Amino acid sequence: MMRMRPALVAITAVALVVCYAPTLRGMFEQWSSDEDMSHGFLVPIVVLWIVWRERARWRALPAEPSWWGLAVLAAGAGMQFVAALGAGLFAGSVAFLVSVAGAVLALGGFAWLRAFAFPLLLALFMLPKLAIVYNQATLPLQLLASRMAAGILTAVGIGVIREGNILDVAGRRISVVEACNGIRYLLSLGFMAVVLAYLADTKPWMRMALLAAAVPIAVLANAVRVAAAGWLPSLAAGAPHAIAGWFLFVLCLATLVLARRLVNRVYARYQS
Amino acid sequence: MQKLSALILYVAFSVCLQAQSPVPLLTAGNFGVLAASTVTNTGATAVTGGLGLSPGTSVTGFPPGTLNGTFHVTDAVAAQAQIDLTAAFTNASGRSPSTLVAAEIGGTTITPGVYHAASSLQITGTVTLNGAGVYIFQIPTTLTTASASLVNLTGGATADNVFWQVGSSATLGTGSTFFGNILAQASITITTGAQLGGRALARTGAVTLDTNTLISPGGTGPSGGGTPPPGVPAPSSVILVAIGLACVALYQGRERLLRRWRKI
Repeated sequence: MMRMRPALVAITAVALVVCYAPTLRGMFEQWSSDEDMSHGFLVPIVVLWIVWRERARWRALPAEPSWWGLAVLAAGAGMQFVAALGAGLFAGSVAFLVSVAGAVLALGGFAWLRAFAFPLLLALFMLPKLAIVYNQATLPLQLLASRMAAGILTAVGIGVIREGNILDVAGRRISVVEACNGIRYLLSLGFMAVVLAYLADTKPWMRMALLAAAVPIAVLANAVRVAAAGWLPSLAAGAPHAIAGWFLFVLCLATLVLARRLVNRVYARYQS
Repeated sequence: MQKLSALILYVAFSVCLQAQSPVPLLTAGNFGVLAASTVTNTGATAVTGGLGLSPGTSVTGFPPGTLNGTFHVTDAVAAQAQIDLTAAFTNASGRSPSTLVAAEIGGTTITPGVYHAASSLQITGTVTLNGAGVYIFQIPTTLTTASASLVNLTGGATADNVFWQVGSSATLGTGSTFFGNILAQASITITTGAQLGGRALARTGAVTLDTNTLISPGGTGPSGGGTPPPGVPAPSSVILVAIGLACVALYQGRERLLRRWRKI
């Protein structure tokens, strides 16, 4: 049984890092400067931890290098070339992940690629924002958060007038700006949903189910956060505002855990 | 040189003259709703600001309507507010010079100034009031806004400085959003779901409400631009994920933690 040579793996890893150094530097800069994407710092740590956790499984796999790996590496290189010509950081980041997949395939074969599929997919969460998609989505998300927050305030009997993304609550106005659009909650909770499903459940479809459940939970939580800030001036800024945001996120996680239990209960009933 | 100086002075003086001052509401400005005959509400209307009625005696619908303010029904305060409203109405109707506007102003952008309609005024869609300053609309008969219409304040326009002087009655359409002070000779009807950022002040008739939100400016009032209102940004995603990972670690280790706790 052919075993993977650690030296070969190390050389390949270093080569990838050197070739993609500008892309990795760009990703690092975006994680540092953009609070929507700052979770990117933690994604590689979690991915590496999962790889370490699964080490017994992939060490037992025989290494069956595949020539297809070189094709995938070539595709990654082509994407990086296009990115360097001006396609942008997103294309370069995708090229990096494609190249990593190609290296795994080239060194270990399809069995290894299958073993590393989940960590590679999880690494998608560290990709930078795709500007075209983000710019299209941000205003609708801001308006959705504004509408929902106004609805929540009205439902609890607090007078509010909404004008676009501005809420007027008893003469005090707050603005649902880009940083309030819920993307941070969406990406963070989506990532946590996948991690939670990986750790707590063996069913692969549960990861998709929890990821899907994270979307409405995150959107609603963000609207509640905006509504609370509109209602209570003390929650609109400073430490109370931050703490309220963190607390709401913990509630979102609790909701995900409950959602998982509910889905499992329904699944068990269906199976019996 | 002297002629140039005189010209400059003339232009500057003219500009100053044309900048209108707000219509003085005096004690009427303390009310979000002020009527003469009745105030009738249906549904969960929320009014922020005082509610006054004089000389009528009937206020119905509170609850289920709620008032964040004080009721003044057939008392001296409401009576004085009606006197001040009459003075304000006269003041607004006498402002000049004014510019003629079309009967339908939906879809237009209007800058500060005094405007008059030939007879009635209708708003369908969105009318934008753009710019800091005083807006006075002199309407000989009725003011009507269509369903889902919007008065959009931008560029520093504030609801407190918008005055709709209505010769007969005003009706705000279902689900519409309206800003400004309505000074109506007769009645004001705010239909289902409409929102008013301003005041509904009726001189001789009723104010009728139906599941509305009314927020009176209270002096500063809702504004439509200038310095944007503060945002309420969400926490940084790295902190959210760090909190999430900590929670997941605690959740996964709960059995171990519980065993340790029980041993203690």
